[in-house]
Amino acid sequence: MSTNNPYGKVAFYPGCALDGLGKSYDVSLRLVAEDLGLKFERLDDYNCCGALEVKNVNTMAGLLLPARNLSLARKIGANAIMSACPGCHYSLSRTQYYMSKYTKVREKVNAYLEKMGEKPYDLQLMTIHAVEYFYNTVGVEGIKAKVKRPLTGLKVAPYYGCLYTRPKPYTLAGYMKLKDDPERPIFMDELLKALGAEVVPFEAKTMCCGGPHVYSDVEVALHLEARILKEARRNGADMLVVDCPLGGVALETNMNKIAEKYGEDLRMPIVYFTQLMAFAFGHSPEEALLTANLTNPMSILKKYL
Amino acid sequence: MEKPIIKGVIEKEKVVVDGIELDGTWNAFLVERTQTGYDPSVWDEIANTLEGVTISACWQCGTCTSGCTMREYDPNFGPRKFIDLARKGDKQALAELQDSLWRCVSCQKCTHRCPKGVMVEEVVHAIHNYALKHGLVKKDPGTVFDELFLDTVMKNGGRISELLLGSASAKAGFVTMSLRDLITMSVPLIKSGLIKDLLKPNKVKNWDRIKSVLEEAMKEEVRPE
Repeated sequence: MSTNNPYGKVAFYPGCALDGLGKSYDVSLRLVAEDLGLKFERLDDYNCCGALEVKNVNTMAGLLLPARNLSLARKIGANAIMSACPGCHYSLSRTQYYMSKYTKVREKVNAYLEKMGEKPYDLQLMTIHAVEYFYNTVGVEGIKAKVKRPLTGLKVAPYYGCLYTRPKPYTLAGYMKLKDDPERPIFMDELLKALGAEVVPFEAKTMCCGGPHVYSDVEVALHLEARILKEARRNGADMLVVDCPLGGVALETNMNKIAEKYGEDLRMPIVYFTQLMAFAFGHSPEEALLTANLTNPMSILKKYL
Repeated sequence: MEKPIIKGVIEKEKVVVDGIELDGTWNAFLVERTQTGYDPSVWDEIANTLEGVTISACWQCGTCTSGCTMREYDPNFGPRKFIDLARKGDKQALAELQDSLWRCVSCQKCTHRCPKGVMVEEVVHAIHNYALKHGLVKKDPGTVFDELFLDTVMKNGGRISELLLGSASAKAGFVTMSLRDLITMSVPLIKSGLIKDLLKPNKVKNWDRIKSVLEEAMKEEVRPE
Protein backbone atom coordinates (compact mmCIF):
# COMPACT_ATOMS: atom_id res chain seq x y z
CA MET A 1 0.00 0.00 0.00
CA SER A 2 1.47 3.34 -0.96
CA THR A 3 1.02 6.10 1.54
CA ASN A 4 0.74 9.62 0.31
CA ASN A 5 2.65 12.03 2.55
CA PRO A 6 2.27 15.72 1.78
CA TYR A 7 3.76 16.77 5.13
CA GLY A 8 7.34 15.52 5.24
CA LYS A 9 8.56 14.61 8.72
CA VAL A 10 5.79 14.91 11.29
CA ALA A 11 6.21 15.70 15.00
CA PHE A 12 3.30 14.63 17.19
CA TYR A 13 2.41 17.15 19.89
CA PRO A 14 0.24 15.28 22.41
CA GLY A 15 -0.63 18.12 24.77
CA CYS A 16 -1.64 17.74 28.40
CA ALA A 17 -5.13 16.43 27.65
CA LEU A 18 -3.75 13.34 25.91
CA ASP A 19 -1.64 12.50 28.93
CA GLY A 20 -4.65 13.01 31.19
CA LEU A 21 -8.30 12.11 30.72
CA GLY A 22 -7.72 11.93 26.97
CA LYS A 23 -5.23 9.07 27.34
CA SER A 24 -7.54 6.79 25.36
CA TYR A 25 -7.19 9.22 22.44
CA ASP A 26 -3.38 9.07 22.67
CA VAL A 27 -3.21 5.29 22.95
CA SER A 28 -5.69 4.61 20.15
CA LEU A 29 -4.12 7.19 17.87
CA ARG A 30 -0.72 5.57 18.12
CA LEU A 31 -2.28 2.14 17.70
CA VAL A 32 -4.00 2.98 14.42
CA ALA A 33 -1.03 4.95 13.12
CA GLU A 34 1.09 1.82 13.58
CA ASP A 35 -1.53 -0.33 11.81
CA LEU A 36 -1.56 2.11 8.92
CA GLY A 37 2.22 2.34 8.73
CA LEU A 38 2.28 6.04 9.54
CA LYS A 39 5.43 7.35 11.14
CA PHE A 40 5.76 10.37 13.37
CA GLU A 41 7.88 11.35 16.33
CA ARG A 42 6.19 12.07 19.65
CA LEU A 43 7.45 15.19 21.45
CA ASP A 44 7.91 13.83 24.94
CA ASP A 45 9.31 16.88 26.69
CA TYR A 46 6.51 19.17 25.53
CA ASN A 47 4.91 21.79 27.77
CA CYS A 48 1.31 23.00 28.03
CA CYS A 49 0.27 25.08 25.00
CA GLY A 50 -1.56 27.57 27.23
CA ALA A 51 -4.91 26.62 25.68
CA LEU A 52 -7.48 29.42 25.60
CA GLU A 53 -6.66 30.63 29.08
CA VAL A 54 -3.03 31.78 29.30
CA LYS A 55 -3.30 34.16 26.32
CA ASN A 56 -5.96 36.13 28.21
CA VAL A 57 -3.75 36.61 31.23
CA ASN A 58 -0.42 37.45 29.65
CA THR A 59 0.38 38.08 25.99
CA MET A 60 4.01 36.99 26.16
CA ALA A 61 3.28 33.77 28.07
CA GLY A 62 0.53 33.02 25.56
CA LEU A 63 3.12 33.16 22.79
CA LEU A 64 6.10 31.61 24.53
CA LEU A 65 4.47 28.40 25.77
CA PRO A 66 3.44 27.27 22.26
CA ALA A 67 6.67 28.64 20.74
CA ARG A 68 8.77 26.31 22.85
CA ASN A 69 6.85 23.34 21.44
CA LEU A 70 7.30 24.59 17.90
CA SER A 71 11.00 24.92 18.58
CA LEU A 72 11.16 21.36 19.94
CA ALA A 73 9.58 20.07 16.75
CA ARG A 74 12.16 21.87 14.61
CA LYS A 75 14.93 20.50 16.80
CA ILE A 76 14.07 16.98 15.63
CA GLY A 77 13.90 18.23 12.05
CA ALA A 78 10.14 18.05 11.61
CA ASN A 79 8.35 19.81 8.75
CA ALA A 80 4.91 19.61 10.32
CA ILE A 81 3.55 19.51 13.86
CA MET A 82 0.44 17.40 14.40
CA SER A 83 -1.86 17.98 17.36
CA ALA A 84 -4.70 15.68 18.31
CA CYS A 85 -6.34 18.37 20.41
CA PRO A 86 -7.91 21.24 18.43
CA GLY A 87 -7.10 23.53 21.36
CA CYS A 88 -3.40 22.80 21.02
CA HIS A 89 -3.67 23.02 17.22
CA TYR A 90 -5.18 26.48 17.69
CA SER A 91 -2.55 27.70 20.18
CA LEU A 92 0.38 26.51 18.08
CA SER A 93 -1.12 28.02 14.92
CA ARG A 94 -1.81 31.27 16.74
CA THR A 95 1.80 31.68 17.81
CA GLN A 96 2.96 30.78 14.31
CA TYR A 97 0.65 33.52 12.97
CA TYR A 98 1.87 36.24 15.31
CA MET A 99 5.51 35.30 14.92
CA SER A 100 5.20 35.34 11.12
CA LYS A 101 3.35 38.61 11.03
CA TYR A 102 5.31 40.76 13.46
CA THR A 103 9.10 40.91 13.20
CA LYS A 104 9.73 42.37 16.65
CA VAL A 105 7.41 39.88 18.31
CA ARG A 106 9.33 37.09 16.58
CA GLU A 107 12.67 38.49 17.70
CA LYS A 108 11.51 38.83 21.30
CA VAL A 109 10.02 35.33 21.44
CA ASN A 110 13.16 33.86 19.91
CA ALA A 111 15.40 35.71 22.36
CA TYR A 112 13.48 34.17 25.26
CA LEU A 113 13.57 30.73 23.64
CA GLU A 114 17.35 30.99 23.52
CA LYS A 115 17.42 31.97 27.17
CA MET A 116 15.46 28.80 27.90
CA GLY A 117 18.13 26.84 26.07
CA GLU A 118 15.96 26.14 23.03
CA LYS A 119 16.54 26.81 19.35
CA PRO A 120 14.97 29.98 17.94
CA TYR A 121 11.90 29.04 15.93
CA ASP A 122 12.37 29.50 12.17
CA LEU A 123 8.65 29.43 11.18
CA GLN A 124 9.20 26.38 8.99
CA LEU A 125 6.41 24.18 10.37
CA MET A 126 2.98 23.44 9.03
CA THR A 127 0.48 23.03 11.87
CA ILE A 128 -1.92 20.15 11.31
CA HIS A 129 -4.63 18.27 13.17
CA ALA A 130 -4.82 14.48 13.50
CA VAL A 131 -8.02 14.23 11.43
CA GLU A 132 -6.38 16.07 8.53
CA TYR A 133 -3.31 13.94 8.95
CA PHE A 134 -5.14 10.63 8.54
CA TYR A 135 -7.34 12.00 5.77
CA ASN A 136 -4.47 13.38 3.71
CA THR A 137 -1.98 10.55 4.17
CA VAL A 138 -3.58 7.08 4.15
CA GLY A 139 -6.95 8.53 3.18
CA VAL A 140 -10.27 6.78 2.86
CA GLU A 141 -8.97 3.90 0.73
CA GLY A 142 -6.06 3.18 3.07
CA ILE A 143 -8.42 2.97 6.03
CA LYS A 144 -10.97 0.82 4.20
CA ALA A 145 -8.23 -1.71 3.47
CA LYS A 146 -7.52 -2.18 7.21
CA VAL A 147 -11.08 -2.62 8.46
CA LYS A 148 -11.69 -6.05 9.96
CA ARG A 149 -14.84 -5.22 11.91
CA PRO A 150 -17.03 -3.08 9.64
CA LEU A 151 -19.27 -0.90 11.79
CA THR A 152 -22.26 -1.43 9.48
CA GLY A 153 -25.41 0.17 10.79
CA LEU A 154 -23.69 2.20 13.51
CA LYS A 155 -25.07 5.72 13.41
CA VAL A 156 -22.52 8.30 14.43
CA ALA A 157 -22.52 12.08 14.82
CA PRO A 158 -19.04 13.58 14.22
CA TYR A 159 -18.22 16.46 16.57
CA TYR A 160 -15.18 18.49 15.46
CA GLY A 161 -15.24 21.36 17.95
CA CYS A 162 -14.72 25.06 17.31
CA LEU A 163 -11.00 25.17 16.95
CA TYR A 164 -10.35 22.28 14.56
CA THR A 165 -10.43 24.73 11.66
CA ARG A 166 -11.08 28.11 13.19
CA PRO A 167 -10.06 30.84 12.88
CA LYS A 168 -8.74 30.46 9.35
CA PRO A 169 -5.97 33.09 9.56
CA TYR A 170 -4.33 30.82 12.16
CA THR A 171 -5.13 27.32 10.92
CA LEU A 172 -5.22 28.29 7.22
CA ALA A 173 -8.38 26.22 6.91
CA GLY A 174 -10.23 26.70 3.66
CA TYR A 175 -7.16 28.05 1.91
CA MET A 176 -5.88 24.78 0.46
CA LYS A 177 -6.95 21.25 -0.36
CA LEU A 178 -5.13 19.84 2.67
CA LYS A 179 -7.40 21.82 5.01
CA ASP A 180 -11.02 21.23 5.89
CA ASP A 181 -13.97 23.61 5.59
CA PRO A 182 -14.08 26.02 8.55
CA GLU A 183 -17.83 25.81 9.19
CA ARG A 184 -18.94 22.49 7.73
CA PRO A 185 -15.95 20.16 7.89
CA ILE A 186 -16.14 16.72 6.25
CA PHE A 187 -12.79 14.97 6.79
CA MET A 188 -13.84 13.04 9.89
CA ASP A 189 -17.17 12.13 8.22
CA GLU A 190 -15.17 10.48 5.44
CA LEU A 191 -12.92 8.62 7.88
CA LEU A 192 -15.95 7.26 9.76
CA LYS A 193 -17.72 6.24 6.55
CA ALA A 194 -14.59 4.32 5.60
CA LEU A 195 -15.09 2.28 8.79
CA GLY A 196 -18.55 1.29 7.56
CA ALA A 197 -20.42 3.57 9.98
CA GLU A 198 -23.33 5.72 8.92
CA VAL A 199 -22.73 9.43 9.49
CA VAL A 200 -25.98 11.18 10.36
CA PRO A 201 -26.68 14.76 9.25
CA PHE A 202 -25.26 16.86 12.06
CA GLU A 203 -25.42 20.64 12.20
CA ALA A 204 -23.64 20.88 15.54
CA LYS A 205 -20.29 19.72 14.10
CA THR A 206 -18.45 22.89 15.05
CA MET A 207 -20.78 24.30 17.69
CA CYS A 208 -19.26 25.54 20.91
CA CYS A 209 -19.23 23.27 24.00
CA GLY A 210 -18.55 26.18 26.35
CA GLY A 211 -15.02 24.82 26.83
CA PRO A 212 -13.13 27.74 28.43
CA HIS A 213 -16.05 28.51 30.74
CA VAL A 214 -17.06 25.03 31.96
CA TYR A 215 -16.15 26.08 35.47
CA SER A 216 -16.76 29.82 35.42
CA ASP A 217 -20.05 30.01 33.48
CA VAL A 218 -21.54 26.63 34.29
CA GLU A 219 -25.17 27.05 33.25
CA VAL A 220 -24.25 28.37 29.81
CA ALA A 221 -21.71 25.58 29.27
CA LEU A 222 -24.26 22.92 30.24
CA HIS A 223 -26.82 24.31 27.84
CA LEU A 224 -24.29 24.50 25.02
CA GLU A 225 -23.29 20.89 25.63
CA ALA A 226 -26.89 19.74 25.81
CA ARG A 227 -27.52 21.44 22.49
CA ILE A 228 -24.83 19.34 20.81
CA LEU A 229 -26.21 16.10 22.26
CA LYS A 230 -29.75 17.09 21.36
CA GLU A 231 -28.80 17.67 17.75
CA ALA A 232 -27.10 14.26 17.64
CA ARG A 233 -30.10 12.55 19.24
CA ARG A 234 -32.57 14.30 16.95
CA ASN A 235 -30.75 12.93 13.93
CA GLY A 236 -30.80 9.41 15.31
CA ALA A 237 -27.12 9.05 16.27
CA ASP A 238 -26.10 6.13 18.52
CA MET A 239 -22.97 7.89 19.69
CA LEU A 240 -21.02 11.10 19.44
CA VAL A 241 -17.57 10.76 17.85
CA VAL A 242 -15.16 13.51 18.82
CA ASP A 243 -11.72 14.70 17.75
CA CYS A 244 -11.42 17.17 20.61
CA PRO A 245 -10.38 16.11 24.11
CA LEU A 246 -11.62 19.41 25.55
CA GLY A 247 -15.12 18.87 24.21
CA GLY A 248 -14.96 15.14 24.84
CA VAL A 249 -13.94 15.50 28.47
CA ALA A 250 -16.39 18.36 29.13
CA LEU A 251 -19.28 16.36 27.68
CA GLU A 252 -18.31 13.14 29.44
CA THR A 253 -17.82 14.65 32.88
CA ASN A 254 -20.99 16.75 32.63
CA MET A 255 -23.17 13.96 31.24
CA ASN A 256 -24.98 13.33 34.54
CA LYS A 257 -25.78 16.99 35.02
CA ILE A 258 -26.95 17.37 31.42
CA ALA A 259 -29.19 14.31 31.66
CA GLU A 260 -30.70 15.55 34.91
CA LYS A 261 -31.38 19.00 33.61
CA TYR A 262 -32.25 18.45 29.96
CA GLY A 263 -33.57 14.88 29.85
CA GLU A 264 -32.27 11.34 30.16
CA ASP A 265 -32.65 10.76 26.41
CA LEU A 266 -29.61 12.98 25.84
CA ARG A 267 -27.35 10.46 27.53
CA MET A 268 -25.15 8.91 24.85
CA PRO A 269 -21.69 7.37 24.58
CA ILE A 270 -18.79 9.54 23.50
CA VAL A 271 -15.71 8.11 21.77
CA TYR A 272 -12.63 9.49 20.07
CA PHE A 273 -12.53 8.83 16.33
CA THR A 274 -9.23 6.97 16.71
CA GLN A 275 -10.82 4.62 19.26
CA LEU A 276 -13.51 3.74 16.75
CA MET A 277 -10.82 3.24 14.09
CA ALA A 278 -8.82 0.96 16.40
CA PHE A 279 -11.95 -1.04 17.20
CA ALA A 280 -12.85 -1.39 13.51
CA PHE A 281 -9.27 -2.46 12.76
CA GLY A 282 -9.84 -5.45 15.03
CA HIS A 283 -8.30 -4.30 18.31
CA SER A 284 -9.94 -5.32 21.56
CA PRO A 285 -11.91 -2.76 23.60
CA GLU A 286 -9.16 -2.87 26.24
CA GLU A 287 -6.41 -2.10 23.69
CA ALA A 288 -8.39 0.85 22.35
CA LEU A 289 -9.09 1.92 25.97
CA LEU A 290 -12.82 1.93 25.16
CA THR A 291 -13.17 0.70 28.73
CA ALA A 292 -11.80 4.00 30.07
CA ASN A 293 -14.56 6.13 28.56
CA LEU A 294 -16.89 7.45 31.23
CA THR A 295 -19.96 7.04 29.02
CA ASN A 296 -19.61 3.30 28.30
CA PRO A 297 -19.46 3.08 24.49
CA MET A 298 -19.17 -0.73 24.68
CA SER A 299 -22.88 -0.88 25.52
CA ILE A 300 -23.45 -0.16 21.83
CA LEU A 301 -20.25 -1.49 20.27
CA LYS A 302 -20.48 -4.96 21.83
CA LYS A 303 -22.67 -6.22 19.00
CA TYR A 304 -19.69 -5.86 16.62
CA LEU A 305 -17.37 -7.98 18.75
CA MET B 1 -53.43 59.25 21.28
CA GLU B 2 -50.18 57.69 20.10
CA LYS B 3 -47.42 57.65 22.64
CA PRO B 4 -43.91 58.64 21.75
CA ILE B 5 -41.58 55.58 21.90
CA ILE B 6 -38.47 57.55 22.55
CA LYS B 7 -37.76 58.89 26.01
CA GLY B 8 -37.06 62.55 26.25
CA VAL B 9 -39.39 63.73 23.53
CA ILE B 10 -40.81 67.24 23.53
CA GLU B 11 -44.43 67.28 22.45
CA LYS B 12 -46.12 70.51 21.46
CA GLU B 13 -49.80 71.27 21.33
CA LYS B 14 -49.60 72.96 17.98
CA VAL B 15 -46.77 73.16 15.48
CA VAL B 16 -46.90 75.33 12.40
CA VAL B 17 -44.11 75.16 9.82
CA ASP B 18 -44.21 77.48 6.83
CA GLY B 19 -47.84 78.22 7.45
CA ILE B 20 -48.86 74.52 7.54
CA GLU B 21 -50.03 72.93 10.79
CA LEU B 22 -48.42 69.54 11.61
CA ASP B 23 -50.24 66.86 13.53
CA GLY B 24 -49.80 63.27 14.75
CA THR B 25 -46.23 62.33 15.66
CA TRP B 26 -44.87 65.16 13.54
CA ASN B 27 -45.26 67.51 16.44
CA ALA B 28 -42.77 65.63 18.62
CA PHE B 29 -39.11 66.54 18.82
CA LEU B 30 -36.18 64.70 20.41
CA VAL B 31 -34.59 66.38 23.38
CA GLU B 32 -31.14 67.47 22.46
CA ARG B 33 -28.68 65.23 24.23
CA THR B 34 -24.99 65.56 24.73
CA GLN B 35 -22.99 62.74 26.20
CA THR B 36 -19.71 63.65 27.76
CA GLY B 37 -16.81 61.70 29.15
CA TYR B 38 -15.50 60.12 25.96
CA ASP B 39 -11.86 59.21 26.11
CA PRO B 40 -10.19 58.84 22.71
CA SER B 41 -7.15 57.20 24.29
CA VAL B 42 -9.13 53.96 24.74
CA TRP B 43 -9.05 53.20 21.01
CA ASP B 44 -5.34 54.07 20.76
CA GLU B 45 -4.37 51.91 23.69
CA ILE B 46 -6.32 48.87 22.48
CA ALA B 47 -5.09 49.27 18.90
CA ASN B 48 -1.56 49.23 20.28
CA THR B 49 -1.85 45.73 21.76
CA LEU B 50 -1.11 42.54 19.84
CA GLU B 51 -4.65 41.24 20.37
CA GLY B 52 -6.42 44.50 19.68
CA VAL B 53 -4.52 45.74 16.64
CA THR B 54 -7.28 44.86 14.15
CA ILE B 55 -9.95 46.89 16.00
CA SER B 56 -9.59 49.75 13.52
CA ALA B 57 -10.57 47.61 10.54
CA CYS B 58 -14.12 47.06 11.84
CA TRP B 59 -16.88 48.65 9.78
CA GLN B 60 -19.67 47.80 12.23
CA CYS B 61 -21.63 45.43 9.98
CA GLY B 62 -22.56 43.16 12.88
CA THR B 63 -21.72 39.85 11.17
CA CYS B 64 -19.76 38.85 14.28
CA THR B 65 -22.67 39.54 16.58
CA SER B 66 -25.43 37.94 14.49
CA GLY B 67 -23.77 34.53 14.79
CA CYS B 68 -22.33 34.96 18.28
CA THR B 69 -22.68 31.93 20.59
CA MET B 70 -22.80 34.03 23.73
CA ARG B 71 -25.40 36.52 22.55
CA GLU B 72 -28.15 33.88 22.83
CA TYR B 73 -27.52 33.75 26.55
CA ASP B 74 -26.73 37.36 27.24
CA PRO B 75 -28.43 40.04 25.13
CA ASN B 76 -25.92 42.58 26.41
CA PHE B 77 -23.07 40.60 24.88
CA GLY B 78 -22.11 41.85 21.45
CA PRO B 79 -18.68 42.16 19.84
CA ARG B 80 -19.93 44.86 17.46
CA LYS B 81 -21.15 46.96 20.37
CA PHE B 82 -17.97 46.40 22.40
CA ILE B 83 -15.85 47.56 19.47
CA ASP B 84 -18.08 50.58 18.92
CA LEU B 85 -17.92 51.64 22.57
CA ALA B 86 -14.18 51.10 22.79
CA ARG B 87 -13.52 53.17 19.70
CA LYS B 88 -15.75 55.97 20.93
CA GLY B 89 -13.99 55.71 24.25
CA ASP B 90 -17.27 55.42 26.14
CA LYS B 91 -15.81 54.21 29.42
CA GLN B 92 -19.08 54.61 31.29
CA ALA B 93 -20.91 52.21 28.95
CA LEU B 94 -18.02 49.72 29.08
CA ALA B 95 -18.11 49.78 32.88
CA GLU B 96 -21.83 49.03 32.81
CA LEU B 97 -21.03 45.84 30.88
CA GLN B 98 -19.29 44.34 33.93
CA ASP B 99 -21.35 41.13 33.76
CA SER B 100 -21.06 40.68 29.99
CA LEU B 101 -17.61 41.74 28.78
CA TRP B 102 -15.86 38.61 30.08
CA ARG B 103 -18.25 35.98 28.79
CA CYS B 104 -16.73 35.22 25.36
CA VAL B 105 -16.33 31.43 24.98
CA SER B 106 -13.74 31.72 22.20
CA CYS B 107 -15.66 29.68 19.61
CA GLN B 108 -14.08 31.82 16.87
CA LYS B 109 -17.15 31.99 14.67
CA CYS B 110 -16.91 35.81 14.66
CA THR B 111 -13.24 35.81 13.71
CA HIS B 112 -13.92 33.36 10.91
CA ARG B 113 -16.87 35.28 9.50
CA CYS B 114 -15.60 38.87 9.75
CA PRO B 115 -15.47 40.28 6.21
CA LYS B 116 -12.86 42.85 7.21
CA GLY B 117 -10.28 40.58 8.77
CA VAL B 118 -10.82 41.81 12.32
CA MET B 119 -9.59 39.17 14.78
CA VAL B 120 -12.82 39.66 16.68
CA GLU B 121 -12.29 37.14 19.47
CA GLU B 122 -8.86 38.61 20.20
CA VAL B 123 -10.23 42.17 20.07
CA VAL B 124 -13.03 41.32 22.51
CA HIS B 125 -10.41 40.00 24.93
CA ALA B 126 -8.26 43.09 24.37
CA ILE B 127 -11.22 45.32 25.25
CA HIS B 128 -11.96 43.25 28.34
CA ASN B 129 -8.32 43.39 29.35
CA TYR B 130 -8.35 47.16 28.97
CA ALA B 131 -11.43 47.40 31.19
CA LEU B 132 -9.76 45.19 33.80
CA LYS B 133 -6.47 47.05 33.69
CA HIS B 134 -8.10 50.45 34.14
CA GLY B 135 -10.46 49.29 36.85
CA LEU B 136 -13.62 49.81 34.79
CA VAL B 137 -14.80 46.32 35.71
CA LYS B 138 -14.15 44.03 38.66
CA LYS B 139 -12.37 40.72 38.27
CA ASP B 140 -14.79 38.14 36.86
CA PRO B 141 -14.99 34.33 37.21
CA GLY B 142 -13.54 33.81 33.71
CA THR B 143 -10.41 35.77 34.56
CA VAL B 144 -10.10 34.05 37.92
CA PHE B 145 -10.11 30.70 36.10
CA ASP B 146 -7.63 31.88 33.44
CA GLU B 147 -5.19 32.98 36.15
CA LEU B 148 -5.70 29.74 37.99
CA PHE B 149 -4.88 27.85 34.80
CA LEU B 150 -1.61 29.71 34.27
CA ASP B 151 -0.75 29.28 37.93
CA THR B 152 -1.36 25.51 37.72
CA VAL B 153 0.89 25.25 34.65
CA MET B 154 3.66 27.19 36.38
CA LYS B 155 3.48 25.25 39.62
CA ASN B 156 3.20 21.77 38.16
CA GLY B 157 6.15 21.55 35.85
CA GLY B 158 4.68 23.08 32.71
CA ARG B 159 1.76 20.72 32.36
CA ILE B 160 -1.80 20.54 33.59
CA SER B 161 -4.07 17.65 34.35
CA GLU B 162 -7.82 17.68 34.71
CA LEU B 163 -7.57 16.63 38.34
CA LEU B 164 -5.08 19.32 39.30
CA LEU B 165 -7.13 21.94 37.53
CA GLY B 166 -10.36 20.57 38.98
CA SER B 167 -9.10 20.64 42.53
CA ALA B 168 -7.60 24.11 42.12
CA SER B 169 -10.94 25.31 40.73
CA ALA B 170 -12.82 23.75 43.62
CA LYS B 171 -10.51 25.56 46.02
CA ALA B 172 -11.24 28.84 44.24
CA GLY B 173 -14.93 28.25 44.86
CA PHE B 174 -16.10 26.98 41.48
CA VAL B 175 -18.67 24.21 41.62
CA THR B 176 -17.05 21.48 39.61
CA MET B 177 -18.34 18.01 40.29
CA SER B 178 -20.90 16.32 42.45
CA LEU B 179 -20.17 13.15 44.38
CA ARG B 180 -22.16 11.21 41.81
CA ASP B 181 -19.98 12.59 39.00
CA LEU B 182 -16.85 11.58 40.88
CA ILE B 183 -18.13 8.04 41.34
CA THR B 184 -19.12 7.69 37.68
CA MET B 185 -15.68 8.98 36.78
CA SER B 186 -13.54 6.90 39.07
CA VAL B 187 -14.85 3.43 38.15
CA PRO B 188 -13.65 3.33 34.52
CA LEU B 189 -10.51 5.27 35.43
CA ILE B 190 -9.47 2.79 38.08
CA LYS B 191 -10.45 -0.23 35.95
CA SER B 192 -8.38 0.96 32.99
CA GLY B 193 -5.47 2.03 35.19
CA LEU B 194 -5.66 5.57 33.86
CA ILE B 195 -5.95 7.03 37.34
CA LYS B 196 -2.18 6.74 37.84
CA ASP B 197 -1.43 9.09 34.94
CA LEU B 198 -3.96 11.58 36.18
CA LEU B 199 -2.58 11.79 39.68
CA LYS B 200 1.00 12.15 38.58
CA PRO B 201 1.38 14.17 35.39
CA ASN B 202 4.85 14.17 33.89
CA LYS B 203 6.89 17.29 34.18
CA VAL B 204 9.00 19.18 31.68
CA LYS B 205 12.65 18.22 32.31
CA ASN B 206 14.19 21.65 32.49
CA TRP B 207 11.17 23.37 33.96
CA ASP B 208 12.86 25.50 36.62
CA ARG B 209 14.99 27.27 34.06
CA ILE B 210 12.09 27.67 31.62
CA LYS B 211 9.85 28.93 34.37
CA SER B 212 12.24 31.67 35.40
CA VAL B 213 12.57 32.83 31.77
CA LEU B 214 8.77 32.80 31.46
CA GLU B 215 8.41 34.89 34.59
CA GLU B 216 10.87 37.42 33.21
CA ALA B 217 9.16 37.44 29.80
CA MET B 218 5.75 38.03 31.34
CA LYS B 219 6.85 41.47 32.48
CA GLU B 220 7.47 42.53 28.89
CA GLU B 221 4.93 44.61 27.00
CA VAL B 222 4.21 43.25 23.54
CA ARG B 223 3.36 45.62 20.72
CA PRO B 224 2.11 44.71 17.25
CA GLU B 225 5.31 45.55 15.39
